[in-house]
Amino acid sequence: MTSHSGTGPVVSFENVSKHYGQLKAVDGLSLDLRAGETVALLGPNGAGKSTSLDMLLALRKPTAGKIQMFGNDPYHAVKSGRVGAMLQSGGLMPEVTVRELVTLVAGLHPRPVPVDTTLRRAGIADIADQRVDRLSGGQTQRVRFSLAIAGESDLIVLDEPTTAMDVETRRRFWAQMKEEVAEGRTLLFATHYLEEADQAADRILVINRGRLLADGTPDDIKKRAGAKRMSFHLDGVDESVLLRLPGIVSLETRHDFVQLQTDDSDATLYALLDAGYRPSEVEIGSLGLEQAFLAITAEDDRAGETESAPAR
Amino acid sequence: MHGILLLTKTEINRLRRNRRYLIFTTALPVVLYLLWSKAGKSAYGVDFAAYYMVAMATFGAFAGALNGNAIRISEERKVGWIRQLRLTPLPASGYVIAKILTAMATTIVSIVIVMVIGRFYGGVHLALWQWLVVAVIIWLGSTIFAALAVAIGYRYPPDQAQPITLFVYLVFTILGGVWFPLTGALGNIGKATPTYEAIKISTDVIGNVSVPGYLILGLFVWLAVFAALATLSVRSMAETV
Repeated sequence: MTSHSGTGPVVSFENVSKHYGQLKAVDGLSLDLRAGETVALLGPNGAGKSTSLDMLLALRKPTAGKIQMFGNDPYHAVKSGRVGAMLQSGGLMPEVTVRELVTLVAGLHPRPVPVDTTLRRAGIADIADQRVDRLSGGQTQRVRFSLAIAGESDLIVLDEPTTAMDVETRRRFWAQMKEEVAEGRTLLFATHYLEEADQAADRILVINRGRLLADGTPDDIKKRAGAKRMSFHLDGVDESVLLRLPGIVSLETRHDFVQLQTDDSDATLYALLDAGYRPSEVEIGSLGLEQAFLAITAEDDRAGETESAPAR
Repeated sequence: MHGILLLTKTEINRLRRNRRYLIFTTALPVVLYLLWSKAGKSAYGVDFAAYYMVAMATFGAFAGALNGNAIRISEERKVGWIRQLRLTPLPASGYVIAKILTAMATTIVSIVIVMVIGRFYGGVHLALWQWLVVAVIIWLGSTIFAALAVAIGYRYPPDQAQPITLFVYLVFTILGGVWFPLTGALGNIGKATPTYEAIKISTDVIGNVSVPGYLILGLFVWLAVFAALATLSVRSMAETV
């Protein structure tokens, strides 16, 4: 089905920029997506995720740089039916039923999936005969998702796919996406839910202020933040003492429970022990993805415009 | 092409359920005809019943091609449906073509219905070729307004598209002699409108007089104007759709 024998990246951005007057929504973005990968685009609001996806899907044109999808320009790749996309909002034809809409979009696709199958996969079989403009927010979201999978695509692009979803629907959504990807599809999704990126993605691209800050597995990103989490129990110690330990980035205490971030966990631990303290239940680990993400983007914001974005 | 036809089919099904659409394009012209067709003696060189039949057929077809379309297009742009269609393999011009084809498929029905009423209630008797030619003239003459609908729908948000469409509609129908035959100074201005041209060509055919070439030319000029406006509108909104 997916005949992409590694002859080139599925998606490539070469130094892509999008300027609106003085505003640089996307600034020199370069990245490659390889077949079969599940990649998360992670970034705060205004980072340029939606703009980048819009340009990938030929909805907007870059100011500079080159975008290719399956070795072709985005417009032709989309028109050849190789991409299924789910937008962040809107996008449904008024005054028709769910079934009619899915039937239409499937029929426009060169490799349509049977309508009943799509309805089932998106969890909208029970509302198939309801009018599309009379659905709840969550139902509308699922219909929008169904349009992305109404045809057999090689690449699926999702912009904030689970925003309006409750826990159960989200779980079912990712279970469905896993099935889609298992058949060899490439998946690219933008999200601000870090846990979702952590669990679902093989690779994370961290975007901030229109540039790529980090590119790696969830573990790589966590390690990249450098800092480590340390927690322990310690009776009767002064916060001011702890603050003077080497490497400390941040500190939180609750009765005898201490939680801190340090960029040199060894130095902090040894200093604590050398000072004669004997903490118990010491735990040292990497930052969660959220902290790593915040650390990376905060660092970038502080560095201002002189920082150059590492590609990998 | 298959995609465009599929979209057209979906649009037609959707329109058939729209009560307002059915009222304005079919029920209203029929009711008006029943009320007023015997109100006058003659107009434009033919029986009044014949003129009024042509006028009402034009009225219904025109409303079908312009009013509902312009507002629907404007709303579909706002809601993001056109953007969603751009993500499908449907070719870029597919949406507009489907709207025009849908207008053509639905307006011919209302034209035929009014003509049947004209024949059996109004006593309008014509040769078969005259029925066919008049139907085609009104049909094509009103389809050019589908292009104008695209021009309005793409450029203006729904709350502006509504009054603009209504204004345009009133100008073309009143000046065009759809509500009553044209006379005097106002009538002279109205002779330039495509609505007048369609009605006059039709009544000339009915009256079995030769149709002046400039009337037909006029329709083509208006088509070119509306098509140019539509293209400009679509292009100027290209990035934001």
